[in-house]
Amino acid sequence: MKAVLWRELRVNGRSLLIWGAILMFLTFFTMSAFGAFEFEGQLDQYVELFPESMRKIFGLDRLSLSEPLGYYGTEVYIMVLLFGSIYAAILGAGLMAKEEEEKTIEFLLARPVSRAQILAGKLLALLVYVFLFNVLIGLSALAAFKSYVSSDYSRDALLGLLAAPFLAHLAFASFGFLLAFFFTRRRSAMPTSIGLVLAFYFCDVLATLSEKMEFLGYLTPFHYVNAADIVMNGQVGGINILVLLGASAAAMGASYILYRRRDILI
Amino acid sequence: MKAIETFNLTKYYGKARGIVDLNLEVEEGEIFGFVGPNGAGKTTTIRTLLNFIFPTSGSARIFGLDVCRDSVKIRKVVGYLGGEMGYYDDLTVEGLLRYAASFHGGDTARLKELAEIFKVDLNKKIYSLSLGNKKKVGIIQALLHRPRLLILDEPTSGLDPLMQRRLFNLLREENRRGTTIFFSSHILSEVQRLCHRVAIIKEGRLISVEEIARLRRGQFTNVRISFRDGKAPRLELPGIAHQEEDNGSLHLFFNGDVNELLRLLARYEIDELWMEEPSLEEIFMHYYEKEGAR
Repeated sequence: MKAVLWRELRVNGRSLLIWGAILMFLTFFTMSAFGAFEFEGQLDQYVELFPESMRKIFGLDRLSLSEPLGYYGTEVYIMVLLFGSIYAAILGAGLMAKEEEEKTIEFLLARPVSRAQILAGKLLALLVYVFLFNVLIGLSALAAFKSYVSSDYSRDALLGLLAAPFLAHLAFASFGFLLAFFFTRRRSAMPTSIGLVLAFYFCDVLATLSEKMEFLGYLTPFHYVNAADIVMNGQVGGINILVLLGASAAAMGASYILYRRRDILI
Repeated sequence: MKAIETFNLTKYYGKARGIVDLNLEVEEGEIFGFVGPNGAGKTTTIRTLLNFIFPTSGSARIFGLDVCRDSVKIRKVVGYLGGEMGYYDDLTVEGLLRYAASFHGGDTARLKELAEIFKVDLNKKIYSLSLGNKKKVGIIQALLHRPRLLILDEPTSGLDPLMQRRLFNLLREENRRGTTIFFSSHILSEVQRLCHRVAIIKEGRLISVEEIARLRRGQFTNVRISFRDGKAPRLELPGIAHQEEDNGSLHLFFNGDVNELLRLLARYEIDELWMEEPSLEEIFMHYYEKEGAR
């Protein structure tokens, strides 16, 4: 397991740096604009001009752009959440799919390791990457808050906004990992996992807009990490944390059960 | 203890046949050939032995251990080279071999020695290797941890004759040290050169298991003679199992004394003469015809 873990940690470093750097930059750059708008309060007037549905989608019905957390929660958070979920899903989907695609799975399975150990090594690497990715973004966000925000804000709520994406990313990483077992080639596993992220996001938007579709919300990870909820409550709800961790664990468990008796053909 | 035993081992991929009721016994210490045409079920058998795939029914043991239940224990003492195995393109040869060794407690003592024997450049990246060089790396990773049993799926494909000979010499040496070798191939002649016994598999079923020495005594040659005057005579000579005239040339299936055949042919004006190893199918067809007649 250790050998698999170390190898995965080495191989995927570059993609972490690229995705991490881009999102660190976006976070910092977007927050830097807040400094320019902060005391003017004009943004909120513009927001009033948006259609109500649009304000709802971005959480602007409950958050204010002139407050630091409101600005972060509507402008930055959504990028981190969405792009990060795509990164996590792609990473998860690629971990096993690449072994089958490059026909290295026979090499790996010929070693004295059980399939459970191989999965454990890969999942642990996945966990480490998703965590590091969020640490990078968190550092960038904290630095930006320090540089550009002078007004008061709740530290707890900010920590909530920084921690919540990790849970959603973890869920999508696990879904991508599981999904790869239904697609033996990375070519199809990767686009499908991106599609999954976007489909879930779309469900979340629909649930926000229409009361009839509200039930859809409970099915998507995005529902459980809603920025406005976190800012209003000052924290991520305990049940939400449990739901996302549970969903991740379920996807990982399902991959284990699927993989245990799977025929490996290359 | 038997190195490999299978009991009515059967594998279907959905409805497609893999292998059917395979009963195989490989003794510890022998070099065992596993021969059959493409699609006969050789790779299916090997993948089942290594637990890459699960049998539909039946079971198999390696050194007395169940291939499904004790798969990890088995793979500690088995070296495997797959026919289509891929290696991590981003690594160097040495990186790959060290990765392989790290699963076996990191013993890299043989790494340099084996790379020397096969003339493999340890610093090259895997993706830059030719097919033959990749094969060599594959052989080295299979031998690295001094396995008790080597399972090789078509190890000679892609190797030039010189490397093939090096491989065979090395395999003989490993065998002298006590390593059992299970060797699959669709080329009988190479199996003959190396193996003590050979199993023939066709359409998923085991046709027979023979000692090479015994097979060789009954070895046939395909002879084709085209005569200058375009008229093929009928030859009478012991060892001609079968003769057939075809448009002025004669086709013999022959296992007698070649010298006598040449002396006999010297009486005729000959245009061309071919002598070649018959295909596997031909040998076994005639072999079993003869066995049946006895």
